[in-house]
Amino acid sequence: MRRSSLTAIAPLLLVLATGAAQAHAFLDHAEPRVGNKVATPPREVTLWFTQKLEPAFSRITVTNAAGERIDSGKTRVSGSQMSVPLRGGGPGTYHVNWHVLSVDTHTTEGNFTFQVGQ
Amino acid sequence: MDWFGAEIAAPMVAARAVHFAASAIAAGVLIFRATVLAPAPSPAPQAPSIGSQLRCVIWLALAVSVASGLAWFVLQAGAISGLALSEAIAPDMLRTVLDETQFGHVMLARLLCVIVLAACLGFDGIAMQRLALAAALGFVGAIAWTGHAGATAGSEGVVHLAADVLHLWAAAAWTGGLLALVLLLVAFGRDPEAARFRIVVVRRFSALGLASVGTLLVSGTIHSWILVGSLHMLFVTAYGRLLMAKLALFALMLALAAINRLWLTPRLASPASGRAATMLTNMAAIELLLAIAVFAIVGALGTLHPAAHFLNA
Repeated sequence: MRRSSLTAIAPLLLVLATGAAQAHAFLDHAEPRVGNKVATPPREVTLWFTQKLEPAFSRITVTNAAGERIDSGKTRVSGSQMSVPLRGGGPGTYHVNWHVLSVDTHTTEGNFTFQVGQ
Repeated sequence: MDWFGAEIAAPMVAARAVHFAASAIAAGVLIFRATVLAPAPSPAPQAPSIGSQLRCVIWLALAVSVASGLAWFVLQAGAISGLALSEAIAPDMLRTVLDETQFGHVMLARLLCVIVLAACLGFDGIAMQRLALAAALGFVGAIAWTGHAGATAGSEGVVHLAADVLHLWAAAAWTGGLLALVLLLVAFGRDPEAARFRIVVVRRFSALGLASVGTLLVSGTIHSWILVGSLHMLFVTAYGRLLMAKLALFALMLALAAINRLWLTPRLASPASGRAATMLTNMAAIELLLAIAVFAIVGALGTLHPAAHFLNA
């Protein structure tokens, strides 16, 4: 082991000085889009994440302006994509709550809203 | 519990640290047996039961590894379900985690590796030893799929996984090898009859150590590049600070290894070989303790959100 401690760490520090990366499941984008307005109630909400998800422990709930659950309760997960069908919930602000487990066993959660109606 | 500004879940970190260290030691002693002791260095002195001693260590490490692995699995199932531990250990919950998550599948595959490994340990043939080594490499390498690398998407994920598997193997070779080396040096004591044997063993281990260190540096750099993201993040996140503590311990280990290789190893051939052998044994033992401390940090690192996470948040 002819390397000194300094030469051992130098390449690491050099490489660390550049580069971008990602880890864990974060919301990448959603349909309907976060904070946007749509004319009619969507038939489903779909979320795309930055990581692969565990179907058994990932779910979405959606409530309408009146605070009523309008998702079917059957979240579908495929790779890093997750969606849930909706029942019609009228105009107003819809709240989307999501809770996901990425395959590296870390949970993340979040929420956003979108508007339905003119 | 607070480490470097990070909230640490003590039971989970302890279970993971013990599991990683024990798994690495089991695999590392097998790697040592395959690369340093076989083919047998000549002239081989009447080795005082070193073979059975090493086998004992492997059995003990496997037992600790299985027990701590079970603890890790149960604690992880609790964390995944978000339930209190008493509710999470319900058979249904454990079964769901085992059947329906990547973590469960990997732990099951690793359990199969342990069973194969344990079955092979009872036999002396070369084929059985090779199968035992392969099972041990599978047992340790598969840990990569339980961690951050297992969830990195796309081609970057493949690179990350490959780097992590190599990192785990190299860490096992170095740690388990150190333990085997210390046991061997202690077994032979200052016996002048064993001087030449000792030199061959130490030189071979030195080569193994050098290969391990090179692999650890390259794979660790790739891993950090993906999970830390920037030099700034190394300083401002708990993950980054813990990683720096790990690097500091690693640097200390390298310094000890350099002293062993550059100063003590050449003296094994001198008239004062007995004293050099004693010092080498002590230094290797200290190096081993530092390696165990590194595993404690690794146990915590995997439970934290990597620094790069905060670039996205």
